[in-house]
Amino acid sequence: MHRIIPLCFAFMLAAASALSAQNDLVDERILLTFIPNVQFAPFYIGIEDGHFAAAGFDISLEHLQEPEVVDLVAAGQAGFGIVSGEQVILARAQGRDVVYVYEWFQQYPVGIVTPSAAQVSAVVDLRGRKIGIPGRFGASYSGLTTLLQSAGLSEADIELNEIGFNAPEAFCLGAVDAAVVYVNNEPLQIRHRARAGDCGSITDVDVIPVAAQADLVSNGLIVSRQFLDSQPDVIQMMVSGFDAALQTAIHNPAQAYLISLNYVDNLPADADFVAELQKLSARQDLFLAAGPGPEQISASRQAMRQALADVFDAAVLTQFEVLLATIPLWEAERLGHTDLASWQTMRDTLLLMNMLGDAETELESAFTNRFIQGPSP
Amino acid sequence: MQTAIRPANAPKKNRRPSGKHLRRLAPLLTFAALLLFWHWVVAMRFYPIFMVPPPAAVLEAFAEALTSGLLLEHTRTTLEEMLYGLLFGLGIGITIGYAIAKMPLLERLLSPIIVAFQATPIVAYAPLLLIWFPSGITSKIVTTAVIVFFPMLISVVVGIRTVSPSLKDMMRSLNATPWQIFRHLELPAALPMLLAGLKVSATLSVIGAVVGEFIGSGGGLGYLVTLARNQYDTPLVIVAVLTMTAIALTLYSFAAFLEWRLLAWQRRASL
Repeated sequence: MHRIIPLCFAFMLAAASALSAQNDLVDERILLTFIPNVQFAPFYIGIEDGHFAAAGFDISLEHLQEPEVVDLVAAGQAGFGIVSGEQVILARAQGRDVVYVYEWFQQYPVGIVTPSAAQVSAVVDLRGRKIGIPGRFGASYSGLTTLLQSAGLSEADIELNEIGFNAPEAFCLGAVDAAVVYVNNEPLQIRHRARAGDCGSITDVDVIPVAAQADLVSNGLIVSRQFLDSQPDVIQMMVSGFDAALQTAIHNPAQAYLISLNYVDNLPADADFVAELQKLSARQDLFLAAGPGPEQISASRQAMRQALADVFDAAVLTQFEVLLATIPLWEAERLGHTDLASWQTMRDTLLLMNMLGDAETELESAFTNRFIQGPSP
Repeated sequence: MQTAIRPANAPKKNRRPSGKHLRRLAPLLTFAALLLFWHWVVAMRFYPIFMVPPPAAVLEAFAEALTSGLLLEHTRTTLEEMLYGLLFGLGIGITIGYAIAKMPLLERLLSPIIVAFQATPIVAYAPLLLIWFPSGITSKIVTTAVIVFFPMLISVVVGIRTVSPSLKDMMRSLNATPWQIFRHLELPAALPMLLAGLKVSATLSVIGAVVGEFIGSGGGLGYLVTLARNQYDTPLVIVAVLTMTAIALTLYSFAAFLEWRLLAWQRRASL
């Protein structure tokens, strides 16, 4: 008995020390858009793998609309937020001093989905068609405007219908001929429905991505200017933590999916599927230990998908495929790096849309690459 | 102590001359107090200016939106949705309400559906209405109709059921036709409840239309709020919200005026 007491005491000391270390963390929010989704896997990894804790933060995630994210970050009521680039330009033009510090999505994720039978192979083929869009705002609208402009078209050449965030339903019901979507998400859902015979007369779909026509600045991490000026070291740690988490998601999507299960309700999680993912994740870790190159990692992801597709049906796989389709949008030679040209293209688009008015649209202060690791390309 | 004696024919001295005026001025005083409070919040810098803009900035945005035609265009859309929605919602509410009041079996049949529909927040199923009625303003009209239907239905049921059975019996004994009973007994008796329902429905119709516009639309004040938010134009957001408030108040006042006019007989009877 007398031997157990010191052991218990040591254990209590260790626990107290761990708790104390935990208490040293600063409570902070990262404001995200949309809803909890497997696409936010890097944030879940950042929390679960301790990347954010290493930066000194006990992070909680909240999902809001983009304008609310910007306002709360600009007002210092939240430290970090994720919004698309055009929101930063618009917000800065209206007095919100936010700075974009990490370009998470390297490719603009918006595109137009059309039924394959419609044979829309180029943007110009959209002329005269009824196109569904969530609304005349946000990344969808900017993307559509850029896409149309790239083919010498304008909104007057199409019939634009606001359909809210109901693209799969409106598309499959035939309410629209095409829909503005996030290329990594809705097309997969629509294709899944179409192949199951649950999408009217549509059997397959094609996608025209905006990224194929123009380089627009996309979703990234923002902070307030005040926060950036006063605590750059903290932001550096946070950016580094997020960068590490993003790399984990890119390199091992099976692990990213498994971690996402703790955060995303209704994510397919049959015991067999989870067991298979755990097996694939462990195998991927071994593969990564050998130091493979980007092409080999990309091939390993496809092998992972194929291995799962051989066993599980599309309903189980869809969200994992969403994650796999999202990863190429994140990838870059230098993760997080953002370039002036994409900001200029975005500003030109906003000017074309008459959304900037006469407001000041200086871009150089809107973003920084000072926290990005690795050599300049 | 001397007491002044007032002659009998002398005009009565109004001991509280400001009472009546004060009552009339009360809404204006509330408005002025709100305005002052708003100004104080801005002056104290509790929030950054982009979150709570000063009243002057909102006034400027209002003038700009008015002169550019933006505000009128979106107000017209919302009004159109509201009025059609009110028309359908009230029509259906009155018809079904009257039928339910007359046929208790119908109440048993329909009430579970009606209550379940009403108990569910409209924002929860408004996206479905957008899919089911995808063309133009139809989904917004349906949203409005759904939200105004229930208060009207309840008002009609309660109103019709308040009619005394003995009065009905008396009219029947005088060989009154069903139409005459409705026209001369049920309608006047149910009118107070009907108008109370109209007041509630008129106010709710703004909510119905705007909820529909928030879910997905290309026009209307709800859309203007979304647009202004996405352009970080907080003064314009407030202009749109205040316009919605003004519409709701106007409709309520109109319904109250109708009540005052149509129920004049009731006031006279109570004197």
